[in-house]
Amino acid sequence: MVYALTYKPVQRLPNPMVSINPLKRGTGRIVSLQDRVDQLNKSAVWKKVVREWRSINKNLDSLRLPRISMERLGSLWIDEDIQRPMDELHCAKIADPSIYDPALMQCVQCIKTTSGIFISIDTQHTAAAFAALIDAGLMTGTTDWREIEFPFQYIETDNLAFARKAFGILNGKGKKRQSAYMQLRTSVFCIRIDGNRSDSYDVEVENKVKIAENNHCYPIEEKSRLSQHPGTFANIATFLTLNDNEVEIACKWHNTYFHYEPLHVSLFFIFKDICRSFKNFKVTITPKLLEDLAALVQDRFGDLQQYQESVTEAHRKWSTQRYGQADNWKDHAYACALLQLYVKLGGTEHIPAILLDQFDGIVDFFDDEITTVGG
Amino acid sequence: MYYLYLMRSPSGRTGFGICQDYFDRNKKYISHIGDLVQFSYIYGGTRAHAKKVERNIKQNLEDNRWTIDNWKTEWLDNLAIDDLKKYVDDLIERQHIKLELVRIDYDITQEK
Repeated sequence: MVYALTYKPVQRLPNPMVSINPLKRGTGRIVSLQDRVDQLNKSAVWKKVVREWRSINKNLDSLRLPRISMERLGSLWIDEDIQRPMDELHCAKIADPSIYDPALMQCVQCIKTTSGIFISIDTQHTAAAFAALIDAGLMTGTTDWREIEFPFQYIETDNLAFARKAFGILNGKGKKRQSAYMQLRTSVFCIRIDGNRSDSYDVEVENKVKIAENNHCYPIEEKSRLSQHPGTFANIATFLTLNDNEVEIACKWHNTYFHYEPLHVSLFFIFKDICRSFKNFKVTITPKLLEDLAALVQDRFGDLQQYQESVTEAHRKWSTQRYGQADNWKDHAYACALLQLYVKLGGTEHIPAILLDQFDGIVDFFDDEITTVGG
Repeated sequence: MYYLYLMRSPSGRTGFGICQDYFDRNKKYISHIGDLVQFSYIYGGTRAHAKKVERNIKQNLEDNRWTIDNWKTEWLDNLAIDDLKKYVDDLIERQHIKLELVRIDYDITQEK
């Protein structure tokens, strides 16, 4: 049987991401707070929340702003009915030698009762790790953590219910967590804007991003309007699991054959598995195999997103027949099913058997129009 | 075989969708609208390719999608049906998509 699928080249159009890639460089702009206020005043969601405030006729009291003072760390108390039990592992992570720096400490947040007692409502782990590092003799300039002055942010109240609610707000939905993209952006900008290569993780991340960009592939924030542009992807966590060589092969393949499409995350799963299995079994990933796979995706699915829909459905049917019920999706099925389909359609390049054994028979659960030779 | 259809609402808004049975789908539109309605253009091909084109329309013409009650419909504002057809034809040709025009100005009365 001859492999009959041929990749048909698609005319390359200029990719706007080349010039609008947000990671290319910082904006170089430092704006006033007024700029942000003006932005909010024009925003529909902000106008809506202001209307809500007005509709309930509620005003804010600026006197309720918290105060900040330097206090003896030994004066901090933790109410165990308010805060969670201390998580030692979390403290150990805070004190990670590769990132810990007293200059990055945040104020401990507490209430101050009328009897002058400071009760922590947040940041117990920060305070505990800091004190324990001094206790271990690792801090110069002090030997007694009880006496060191630490920034306390507090409001004066005897109302423990306030403290309890505050803890919930500070650790719950009130806190906007940094997205994976924003963390990646921080690493990239440390290198590109600040020229600071002292953190090996930042260097590693920036290098992966550079390899992707050199192949016209661009990390973006989730739900970004940039997601319609070719080469963009938002699944940062998966991207970062690939090594440099895997990023290079995956992104080059996308840029060579599917330069007109956003990048689907299955690409990373497929090439991670292909690269690692081929390497383990000392099999070469040939240019012919790469082009044959592109032909298969283009001809039978149009793109990897449609492949993902089809393989998910095939996996569901396959596992139902084999195990009596649908199994949860397994990311390894991306590469295994694609290569099994390749072989079924007459592909002749050498594939390590391990990739053909897993999910054995899954190809039979694709639609006929996909598996028919010469279809 | 799967189908991508382009149509106009009675008030002239451009719409699109995909289906496995265009006779049945046309009948459902007629039932909802209470009048004969035509699928101006029907393309036939593989399910994956029909879905790919539908997804492309939804994503790349997102700003044109008629949105009501925060629901993005499969109807497009400010885009004439022939402009949508040109968009689809260009896409099919440029990306080698396995769809071809199989019916024009179709409604179920033509099945007789």
